Formats: sequence, C-alpha cells, structure tokens
Amino acid sequence: MRFVRSNAALTAAGPILFGGAFLAPLIAQSLEAASLPAPFGLEPIHFGLALGLTLGVVAAFRGRWV
Amino acid sequence: MSAAATGTEAMAARSERARKREEAAIARKYMGRVPWEMVAWGLGNFVLWLSIWPLTLAGILPLWAAFVLSTVSITICYLPSHEAQHSIIATEGSPLRWLNELVGHVSTIPLLLPYRIAWITHKQHHAHANDPELDPDHGNKGDTWWQAAWHGIEARQFGARDGYRNALKRSDDPDLGKALREGTILSLSYYAILTTLAWTGFALEAALIWWLPRHIAMTYIQIFLSWAPHHPMEETGRYRDTRAWKSPVGTILSLGMEYHVVHHLFPRIPLFQTGPAYYELRALLDERGCPNDRPD
Repeated sequence: MRFVRSNAALTAAGPILFGGAFLAPLIAQSLEAASLPAPFGLEPIHFGLALGLTLGVVAAFRGRWV
Repeated sequence: MSAAATGTEAMAARSERARKREEAAIARKYMGRVPWEMVAWGLGNFVLWLSIWPLTLAGILPLWAAFVLSTVSITICYLPSHEAQHSIIATEGSPLRWLNELVGHVSTIPLLLPYRIAWITHKQHHAHANDPELDPDHGNKGDTWWQAAWHGIEARQFGARDGYRNALKRSDDPDLGKALREGTILSLSYYAILTTLAWTGFALEAALIWWLPRHIAMTYIQIFLSWAPHHPMEETGRYRDTRAWKSPVGTILSLGMEYHVVHHLFPRIPLFQTGPAYYELRALLDERGCPNDRPD
C-alpha cells in the first residue's frame, strides 16, 4: 500500500516536476537553437522555467497535458 | 448450391472436436522453432537505439537523422518482446529460457514498457479481447484510425483511468509487485536521464531521441497492434474477436498484424509464421465465420 501511495504522490506532482525539470531547459534550448530571443527581455532559461512550470501546474490541475 | 450453404453443411458434418483437431494440426506445423530473427531483432534493435545516443551527442549523427532512426527503432521494439511474452522464443524450463527472458526485458526499454507489466496486461487482452470492461486494449476503439490514435493519447495522460492501469489493479498475478517495482524504477530512471540531459545542454537530443519518438511509437503501435486487428471491436469470443485484414500500408508497415486472427487462436506461432499459417487455416476460419476483410 505504501508503494501505491508513493506512486499516487508522484503522479500528482509529476507534471510540475516535468515542467520545471525537462520542459524548462527544452524551451530555453529550443529558443537558442532557433536564435530567437526570450520575450520580456528574460534569459531563455528563466522564460523556460516560467512557461514550463505554468504548463505543469495547468496540467496537474486538469489531470492531463492535452 | 451456394458456397455458404456448402460451408454450412460441411460444418455440420464434422464435430467441433474434429474441427479443432484440424486447426491444431495445421497450427502445430508452424510452432516449435526458435525465431532467431526475433532474437536478433530485439537485441540488435536495442543496441542500435543505444548507439544513436553517443553518435548524436558526439556530433557524428545529425539530430534529424537520430530522430527518424529512434522513432523507427522504438516503434519496432515491441514485437520481439511480444514473442517473449508468449514464450515463443523458449518455453519455461527449456535451456534457452534465459534468452526468451532477456529479449523480453531488454527490447522494450526504449518504450518504457516493463516486460512483466506488458505480459500481465497482454494476458488480459487475450482472455477478454474486445470486452469494454476487461480488455486493456479496448480504450483504442474508434471508428477511424485517427480516433483510435487520439483515444490512445488520452489514455496515456497521467491522470487517466485507462485499461492498462485497470488491468493491473484487477490482476492477482504473483509477479504483480515485482512488475510494478520494475515499472517505477524504469520510469524514474527515464525522467532522471531526460532531466540530466536537459540540464547539461542536451534537452533537444533528449526530446528528439527518446521523449517524442516514444510518444509517436506508442501511437503507431496502438493503431496497428490494438485498433486495426480488432476493428470494429464489437464482438467477443475465440473466433470473433479479431480479424484477418488487408492493410493499406502493407504488411511491413502494419507490423505484420494482418494475420492477427492466427495469433489470437494460436499465440505460440511466431510472427513470421502467422501469414503462411493463415493461408493454410483460411478455409477452416471461413467455415467458422471468422471476420475476414482480405480480398485474397
């Protein structure tokens, strides 16, 4: 049962972790690869973190990414 | 006299037991050999997929080529494991059993599908094919392939109550605990690798060699292994729950699933033998009224 509970906790936090840990650097490096500036004068990684975490939080609330 | 009437009379003339004996005698001819091509496919494909990483990270292989190769590699990685799940490479207790288990465990690592989880859920698919409640593949039902693809994507969402999770919850398999632990370890390793790569400057490589190819492969596999061979997923029963069909993209691109009816009737027949076995069994299957959408 402990195993099932830890799995459930991971599932709930998963999208936010994924947004910050993977999507953020992916967004930042995609901008750099395309030679595009991050909006609002932000560093690419800061913009990546803002967008990635936002997407993760939205996904966590919706229960789905798409 | 019509062909249908002749078939009905022929059916009536033979007992059910005799028909099953005939079918089994044909099927036996195609079972029993070690499908070495699937062993080479499973292990070779895994090595190929692994080799994409250093070649790309070292700048030898362009990222676009790595993406294409990886997508193909992950798409074809399931079938050798499927042979192992059915103990086609080697049955329990036989000298080559270790090889069966090695192929089963290794080949689907890129797909993030642990062997034991695949087998526990796949057993339920065979036992309950097309049952809306009990068949874990039933979530791929759709009138068209794109509906099936979308249903598959929906079922992969982290909060979804899909057929595979339900199948695992229902399962009383003695290996369930081990399977879930392996699944968790594999998933955590995957996310740890993606994250490490991403924060060390290789986010695009991680996304285009593993993350995106895996999603594309999962969708392709679900269309050709779950949806197409069972479409329209309306009937249940040994001779009604799957079909022979002619794929518009050919046998290779449909992952050899045109003769899936043979696999469900005789799961120990290797994938490469399902075609020849189908043509020898066809008259008997037609007698049974098995769904058949092939013109030949």
